[in-house]
Amino acid sequence: MKAASFDYVRAASITEACELLRQDGGDVKLIAGGQSLTPMMAMRLTRPSRLVDINEIDALKFIKLDNNTARIGACTRQCVVAADNALAARVPLLRRALAWVGHTQTRNRGTLGGSLAHADPAAELPLVAQVLDARLQIRSTSGTRTLPASEFFIGPLTTALEAHECLEEIYWPVWTEHRTGCAFTEVSRRHGDFAIIEACAQIAVDADGRCMRASFGLGGGGTIPLAFPALAATLIGTQLDDAVLKGVTQDAAAELDPGGDLHASAGYRKHLAAVLATRVLRAAYDEAYGKA
Amino acid sequence: MAQEKNPGGFRYIGKQRRTKEYPRFVTGRGRFVADIALPGMKHVALVASPYPSARIVSINTAAARALPGVHYVLTGEEFCAATDALAIGVDAPKVARYSLANGVVRYAGEWVAAVVADTRAIAEDAVELVEVEYEPTPHVIDPEQAIKDGSPLVHPAHGSNIILKKHFVWGPVNAAFANAKHKLVLRAIWGRSSTVPIETFGVAAQWDAGQQILDIWASIQMPKFPDQAARALRLPGNAVRVHFDVDVGGSYGVKRGIKHTVLVGYLARRLGMPVRLIEDRLENMRGGDMHGPDRIFDMEVAFDDDGTLRALKIRALDDVGAYAGRSPFQLGKPVTAICGPYRIAAVEYEPTAVLTNKTPEEAVRGFGQAPTNFAIERTLDCVARHLKMDPIEIRRRNLIRANEFPYLIPSGSTYDSGDYHAVLDKALNAIDYPALVKERDAARRAGKLAGIGIATCLEPNGGNSGFEPLLNPKTDTTTWMDSCVVRVDLSGAITGVMGTSSSGQGHETLVSTVIGEVLEREPADIRVVRADSLQALPSNSPVGSRMAIMLGGAAAGAARKIKDTLIEIAAHNLQCTIESVEYSDGNAAVRGHPDQRIPWDELIAIAHRKIHQMPPGIEPGLQAKFVWEVPTGGKLPAADNTIQIYPCYSFEAHVVYVEIDRDTAAPVLRKYVCGHDCGVMISPDIVHGMTYGGIAHGIGAALYEKFSYTADGQLESGTFMDYLLPSAMEVPTITIVDHCTPSPLTTFGQKGSGEAGYLGAPAAIANAINDALAPIDGRIDTLPITHDALWRVIRGAASPGD
Repeated sequence: MKAASFDYVRAASITEACELLRQDGGDVKLIAGGQSLTPMMAMRLTRPSRLVDINEIDALKFIKLDNNTARIGACTRQCVVAADNALAARVPLLRRALAWVGHTQTRNRGTLGGSLAHADPAAELPLVAQVLDARLQIRSTSGTRTLPASEFFIGPLTTALEAHECLEEIYWPVWTEHRTGCAFTEVSRRHGDFAIIEACAQIAVDADGRCMRASFGLGGGGTIPLAFPALAATLIGTQLDDAVLKGVTQDAAAELDPGGDLHASAGYRKHLAAVLATRVLRAAYDEAYGKA
Repeated sequence: MAQEKNPGGFRYIGKQRRTKEYPRFVTGRGRFVADIALPGMKHVALVASPYPSARIVSINTAAARALPGVHYVLTGEEFCAATDALAIGVDAPKVARYSLANGVVRYAGEWVAAVVADTRAIAEDAVELVEVEYEPTPHVIDPEQAIKDGSPLVHPAHGSNIILKKHFVWGPVNAAFANAKHKLVLRAIWGRSSTVPIETFGVAAQWDAGQQILDIWASIQMPKFPDQAARALRLPGNAVRVHFDVDVGGSYGVKRGIKHTVLVGYLARRLGMPVRLIEDRLENMRGGDMHGPDRIFDMEVAFDDDGTLRALKIRALDDVGAYAGRSPFQLGKPVTAICGPYRIAAVEYEPTAVLTNKTPEEAVRGFGQAPTNFAIERTLDCVARHLKMDPIEIRRRNLIRANEFPYLIPSGSTYDSGDYHAVLDKALNAIDYPALVKERDAARRAGKLAGIGIATCLEPNGGNSGFEPLLNPKTDTTTWMDSCVVRVDLSGAITGVMGTSSSGQGHETLVSTVIGEVLEREPADIRVVRADSLQALPSNSPVGSRMAIMLGGAAAGAARKIKDTLIEIAAHNLQCTIESVEYSDGNAAVRGHPDQRIPWDELIAIAHRKIHQMPPGIEPGLQAKFVWEVPTGGKLPAADNTIQIYPCYSFEAHVVYVEIDRDTAAPVLRKYVCGHDCGVMISPDIVHGMTYGGIAHGIGAALYEKFSYTADGQLESGTFMDYLLPSAMEVPTITIVDHCTPSPLTTFGQKGSGEAGYLGAPAAIANAINDALAPIDGRIDTLPITHDALWRVIRGAASPGD
C-alpha cells in the first residue's frame, strides 16, 4: 500500500494553486486533509501525477458570519467548523452532521471543502449542502464562478469541478426564523462509517406550529445525496401530522434508486430512507416548535 | 506437581501489580519486526492472483526486473524446485502448499511472484510490471457445493475436496435418541471471521554465508516454527536461528507466517542480502492465509420434558480454504469439551474439513472452540424455547455440579474443576437479573425488541495437542512441553529465560511473578529474556491458553530448583539438615535460630565463587532449567477414540442485554456482564485485559466481521471499510466478575485464560438477539448478524408474505 510515484508541490496562495492546476491539466489533484485521498492513493485506486497541497493557504481557512450567510473557506478543518459556537447558532446542521463524520482524529485533519469536493454519495457534508442549498464558489485562473449544491454534485465521487478549478469557499444560508429546528441522523453498521442511509432536515414553524419553511434530504440511497424541495414544499402550512409525514417520506424514499452491497440490500436502504426521513422531519419540527 | 500453597496465601500471585511490559509499550519503546532494520535490507512485495482458480500460462518478469532498484523477481517454478512443501497436519500429502503458486492458482490473492527491491514502494511499482497470463478454470466457493460430486476439485491430485472427515460416537447416542421424549434439529452457521491484529505479519531474514546460518526475526506465534522453516528450506535445524525477542503486535492465533518466512528466508539466502516482508493490509487480508473458521453446524439434540439433555449429534462442516496447515485441527480441539459444561452422556461428532477456492484458514483464538460453543449454546436456547423454559433454568439443570469434579465426559477428557452454578449466579447477581428482566419487559411494552442472552461456556486450556493423533492416526505426538531457565547472577539479580515470543499475553509478567513467588524476591526486579531458537529450551509457543499453566509451571519448577540449591548451600554451611533450614525472602537460617543465618548475597557468593563452601555434588553458578509436560498428557487416543486433550477447563458465564430498533433494525448492546473462573489468576490485570479484548473480539464475530466472497470468487471485504472490526463505539461497558476454583493439576491452581471472553460472547449475543426476536417469532442462527438480516426478519414478521 504505497502510492504510485507522484510529484508534490505546496501552494503558497490560491492564485498559485490555480496556476499549478492550469499548467498540469487533468492529472493533478489538490490535497487538503487527505483523509480520503491518501488511502485511495495508497491502494493505487487513484494515481495523480502531481499533488498540489493547499494546507498552508490561510486564505482558504476562515469562518465569516453575517445575518443571512455563513461563509466558510474550503480548507477549514472539520473540527474547527464543529467547534464554532457562533456558526452553530446560525447553521446548526453543520455541527449536527459533523458528529457523524468519521472520528475525532479524522475531523482534526479533514476539511469542509475536501469532503464536498470528494463527493462520496453517503458522506454527511454533501447532504447538508444539498438540504441547505449551499452555494459553492469555485476559483480558477480565469476567475470565479458560483454553483448551487444542486448543480455541484453530479455522481459518485464526481462534481462539477473542472480539473483546473479549486473549491474556494462555501456559502451557507442562515435561516432567520426564530422557531427553526434541525436534525441529522444516519444508520451505519458502525459509528463513523459511511452511512447506509443518512437523513437531515431543517424546519421553521410559526407560533401555532404550522410549518413555514422546510427542507430535507437523504444520502446513501443513490449516486448523490438528494434534497427534496418539491416534497418539502407540500409540508408548508401543515403541522406535520402523521399522514402528511408518511406520504412525503414515502414519496422521497420512492425517488431513491439505491444499490445493494455487502452491508445493506437495496430493499433495506429504501426502507431506512423512509424511516430516517420521518425521524429527522419529526425531530426538526419538534425542536422548532419547542422554541418559545 | 503438587500445589505450591493454598490459593489465598500468595505474596505476588493474584495481586494487582504493574505488569512488566506496560512501560515499554505505553512509552512507545516496543521493538516490533518493522523496527528491525538490517544494513542493506531489501523489501518484498507480492504479485497476487486475480482469479480464484486458474492455470498460469506464462509469467514475464522482464519489465519488472528492468526497473531501477529491483533486485529480483522470484516465481513459483524456481522456488518450488528449491524448497519443500510446508507441513500439513492432517493426512493429505497431495495437498501441497508452497509460498508461491506453481503453474496453478487456487484462490484470488494467492501469491504468484515475489519482487525484491530497494524499497517497498519500488517493489510495488515492479509488481505492476509483472505480466502473468492466466487461463481461468472452474472454481468452487460454497463448501456444501464443494463436497458434491462433480464439483471442481481444488487439488485434483487429492481426489476430493474433503481434506478431513471423521465420525465419532461416544456413549449410547442412538439409544438416547430412541428413548428421549423430544428431539430437535438446528442449523447454526459461524461466518468466516478471524482475528485481525493491528500489526500485519512481518518477517526479516539474513543469511550469514560465513557461518552458514539463517537469522530470522518475525512477528510469530507458532509451535514448531523454527523446525518447519528449516525443513521447508532444506536446512538443518541448527542453521536457522529465530530471534524471539521481537514484540508481536497482536496475534490471537493467526501470526503463523510460515509461508512468508520460507519465502523471505529463501530470498535472503539466494540473493545474499537481508530481506524483509511486511504485509500490507491488502496482502494480509487476501493473501496472508489468516482467515478463521467458517463453519456450518447441523445439531440434533435429544431431551426430556424437564429439559434434561440426553444426547447430542454435531455435524460440523468447516471451509478451510484452498490449502491447509494446522487449520483442520480446529475441528479437533472441541472434542475435549464436546458436551460443553453440561452433563450429556452421549455425543456423536462428525467433523468435515472442506477445501474451496478461498484464502486459507489459520488458527484463531480458541482453535475452533468459539464456533462450537456458539452452536451448543444456540441449541440450549432452542431447547428452552421449545419447552417454554427459562434459558437460565435449562442451564442450571444441565450444568455439571461442583461436587461432580473431576468429571469425565464421553469423549474421554476429564474436566479438572469448576463451580459453574456459582459463576452463573455471580454474573446474574452482578447484572441484577430480576431488574434486567423488568427492564427488558418494559422495553418490549414500549414497542422495542429487547432480549437477554445467556451463555455458559468452557475454555479448555493448556493442551497437549492430542487432537493431532485423533484426527491423523499417522501422527503420534504425545508431548507439548514448555520450559524455562532461571539464573541468579553474581550480583544476586535474577533472570528468567523463556524460549518463545509473546503477542501481548504478558509472559514477562507471568514468569517474573512466578519466580518471585517461589524465591520470595521482588518480581519487578526480575528480568525476563527470550532466548533465540538455538539457545532456547523446548517450547510449543503460546497457543491454546497454555502459558500460565505451562510456562508458569516451568518457571516455578526452575525457580524451585534454585531455591533447593540455596537451601542445600545453607544447610552445608550452617551444618544443619536441609529440613531444618528456614528459607525466607531469599535468606536462609536454621529454624528456631534466626541468628544462625546466611543472607541472600552470601548464598549467591558461595554459589558463584566459593566452591570450597559448596556442598559436594552441587554445580557452582546458579542456573536451573525445568521442562514441564502437560498435566494429564502423554497418551495416544484409545481404541474407542477417547482421549484427554486439554488438562484444565476455565469457565465463563455471559449475560447480555440487547435492544434492537424495530424500525431501523440496528442492534445496541446495552449491558454486558461476564462471570469468569480461570482458577488462580497470576496477574488479574492481564486476565481481565484478555477477557475484555476477547469479548470485544466476540462482538465482532457476532455482529460485524466477515470475510465475504462474491460468487465469482473475489474477497469483497479485503479492507477495513468492509471487514468491520468493532470500535470503542460498538463495545459497551463490560463488567467482569471473578470466581476462583483452583485447578488441582497445576502449580498454583492456575488455569489458562488467553481465549477468555471470545469463547462465549458470540453465543451470548446471538442468544440475546434471538430472545429479542422471540416475541415476533423471529430467529437468526447465522453469524455475523447484520442489520440487513435483522431487517429481513423484522419485515417478515411485520408483513408475512412480503
